[in-house]
Amino acid sequence: MQRIVFNAVDEGMEIPSLKCGPITQMDLVRYAGASGDFNPIHNDAEFARSVGLNGTIAHGMYVMAQVGRMCSNWAHPLQIKWFGVKFRGMTLPGETLVMTGKVKKKKEENGEKLITVAVQAANEAGDVKVSGELVIKAD
Amino acid sequence: MAELNKDIVGKKLAPFTFHVERGKVREFCLAIGETNPIYLDQSAAQAAGFSDTPVPLTFQTAFTFWGYPKFWTDLEALGIDVKKLLHLKEEYTYHRPIYPGTTVHCRMEVIDVKTGKMNMATFKGVFADENGVPYIESEMAIVIRPD
Repeated sequence: MQRIVFNAVDEGMEIPSLKCGPITQMDLVRYAGASGDFNPIHNDAEFARSVGLNGTIAHGMYVMAQVGRMCSNWAHPLQIKWFGVKFRGMTLPGETLVMTGKVKKKKEENGEKLITVAVQAANEAGDVKVSGELVIKAD
Repeated sequence: MAELNKDIVGKKLAPFTFHVERGKVREFCLAIGETNPIYLDQSAAQAAGFSDTPVPLTFQTAFTFWGYPKFWTDLEALGIDVKKLLHLKEEYTYHRPIYPGTTVHCRMEVIDVKTGKMNMATFKGVFADENGVPYIESEMAIVIRPD
């Protein structure tokens, strides 16, 4: 597993992307069991419609998990200091997600060589579902 | 639309623990499509400098949902309409890896409430060892969908 070296990374650089999908209802059932999040808006279409949605939606945390997979495919997890996202849009079964990341900032602070990467998940039409940042301590 | 009550700031959920089982981590990896061998194969993890397979970056979501089954009813008790709840934000500060066999001590507290156009509540989570030394700290915000 590679470790990220500060001097080998430039601002604006893109990290390797990741594709996931099309997301199926079964993926959400499995994620519900694994995470323990059984909110019925994710697995019961009738319930989802009864609370004003058009049908089931993916767990936001399932989408964040996909962004997380991309992050730790690139950076060694022991280098990861911070990872956070905001949920921008609902992800529906049938959609395919494309996770991307771009180096936003490099700085040295308190003896740490920090690299901030802007990360996101979007569908194939480019609608952003999740966006956030990853901060790593580079070598 | 039910407004959130700002008085819930400072409210804590009851402390709880979550024991990290290898099979549960593997189930989570399979569910998210994780294929990075460091999460699945002890020798790959050790070759990468871990003492065992670490949990994936977002695994701690299971701490709350499996370790604190009262989560939804407690949110309702705080005046949060869980049928209208959407996840707004999730942030993690990582201090050290969590391995199978670890018992994680979890604390969650409401740290902010915003009302008005957006009804949102923010929770801080601390996931620590038995001495309170954190593995991960989290900030999670939810929003109530307007009618």
